[in-house]
Amino acid sequence: MKLLETIRNTAVTLPETLAYISPSEEITYGELWRKSEQIAAYLLKQNNERHLPVLVYGHMDASMITSFLGCVKAGLPYIPVDTSIPIERVIKIINSSQAGMVINASRQEMVMDNPTVSVVNYDKIMENQVTEVPIDPSNWVYGEENFYIIYTSGSTGNPKGVQISAKNLQSFVDWMVKDFPITGNLRFLNQAPYSFDLSVMDLYPALATGGTIFAITKEMIERPKLLFEALEKSKTQVWTSTPSFVQMCLMDPTFTQELLPELSVFLFCGEILPVAICLQLIDRFPKAKIFNTYGPTEATVAVTSIEVTAEILATYQNLPIGKPKGDTRILFVDENGLAVQPGEKGEMIIVGPSVSKGYLGQQSLTEKTFFHYEGEQAYRTGDAAYINQEGLIFYKGRIDFQIKLHGYRMELEEIEYHISNSKYVKSAAVVPVYQNDKIDYLLAAIIPCNHEFEKEYQLTSAIKKELSEVIPSYMIPRKFSYYEELPMTPNGKMDRKKFREMVLQ
Amino acid sequence: MDFKNEVISLLAEICQDDIVKENPDIDLFDAGLLDSFGTVELLVQVEERFGILVPITEFDRDVWNTPNNIAIQLADMQ
Repeated sequence: MKLLETIRNTAVTLPETLAYISPSEEITYGELWRKSEQIAAYLLKQNNERHLPVLVYGHMDASMITSFLGCVKAGLPYIPVDTSIPIERVIKIINSSQAGMVINASRQEMVMDNPTVSVVNYDKIMENQVTEVPIDPSNWVYGEENFYIIYTSGSTGNPKGVQISAKNLQSFVDWMVKDFPITGNLRFLNQAPYSFDLSVMDLYPALATGGTIFAITKEMIERPKLLFEALEKSKTQVWTSTPSFVQMCLMDPTFTQELLPELSVFLFCGEILPVAICLQLIDRFPKAKIFNTYGPTEATVAVTSIEVTAEILATYQNLPIGKPKGDTRILFVDENGLAVQPGEKGEMIIVGPSVSKGYLGQQSLTEKTFFHYEGEQAYRTGDAAYINQEGLIFYKGRIDFQIKLHGYRMELEEIEYHISNSKYVKSAAVVPVYQNDKIDYLLAAIIPCNHEFEKEYQLTSAIKKELSEVIPSYMIPRKFSYYEELPMTPNGKMDRKKFREMVLQ
Repeated sequence: MDFKNEVISLLAEICQDDIVKENPDIDLFDAGLLDSFGTVELLVQVEERFGILVPITEFDRDVWNTPNNIAIQLADMQ
């Protein structure tokens, strides 16, 4: 695979170049290559069935990326899982993916009852003697084989695994390197945890260009003072984050070109990029270029882009998501799957080499959203949009119950499923509460069971505590309110439209 | 309404929970009532309503942890 060859070339020709900086350690390309060889050698010795994925559990340490590369060099796809994911959900991912092994790169114990797979600590792998023979590239994943599998929220209450092949990832990386000014051993900021595919937007483009990744940890995000101290030392040149994250940074008056004098590119993905944020960035970082991008995990991170210039900002009140990358087409269709007239709103269908083969082990779910179109893989995004006369695409919201909150993608039905499972809850509905076209927070409307709590907030804390064991905290609604009944449609489903009118009065 | 009560009702709005009023010594982060994004919203509102600009780097979770403590910090900055 070309990407792995490129990384190897850097490791051979510039072994002392830094590949990764986290608060705990820095590693060079030479070390990255050597350590990942050791992991690959270990995995090959285990005689794992080829193609069975390896779940890699941890946060932002260098051991995460050495493990990722170790897996793919042994021909095995990896499933990145951040430590913010509750263990119960990790177990669901292990079971549904049939992972052959777990590498625990978190330096903390993973407490699981009767795990169905073997869990090996990263440090344990590193203790073993290094094999002298390099891993033969014939072992590497290639072509249609899976490179990584990222689990995302599913409407049935179970997360679903998006399979990204070596070919998918190569198509994405080639586009990034060609169409964005990010080449030449630059310093990349990584804000997103690895279970979120926004992290792929900086990780592999950085490694493909001999760049260095500077990792932001959750401790820094919790304590902005630490974050700003880290940023000041980071020498960041390429910034990749959600708009929400940069908005948080803009809350501090010191977030300017003086803090990050070398910053030359902002890359945004994951949610709508507001004009107001871009105006502030242009003002505070006059030397930097800003790019807006769009794409679902199912099409490998992003498939459209546009440079947000002063002219674009003066022309549009809502920013376009841009134009598709060269090897990809986007079709706009109506509810019957027929092409809409140019300029009319329709569902976006993405067609091209970066579109995933589907959800791991979920045939029927895959058939619902993936299909072949003129010999290429195609994906129904569920995102509505239109294209203007200049060929720019404008995002117009979801056609279903999937939402994005602070860049995190989730299915309202999955949250409802978990709340309804609480012993205190008879039935539940989750609705997003909007402010200026943006989701402000989630509201859980609940018909409670009989309970002994004196106050509603005590009931709320009890339910929230249960939820924190099964879903990540970003999926837990902020507001809980209690009702004796909820409006229903004639077929017995919650009537969201009526309900929204009811609560927003 | 005095300043402290105004701060606490703002927090109740942002956290969407009246527990903030009932127990103004609750640790908002431990209780899951406030996170990084809630913090941003709080600081935006503090600037809008009270005209106090709190740089996000000044917001230390160890000190700005309860409704009462947040009110004290803001009163100092007034």
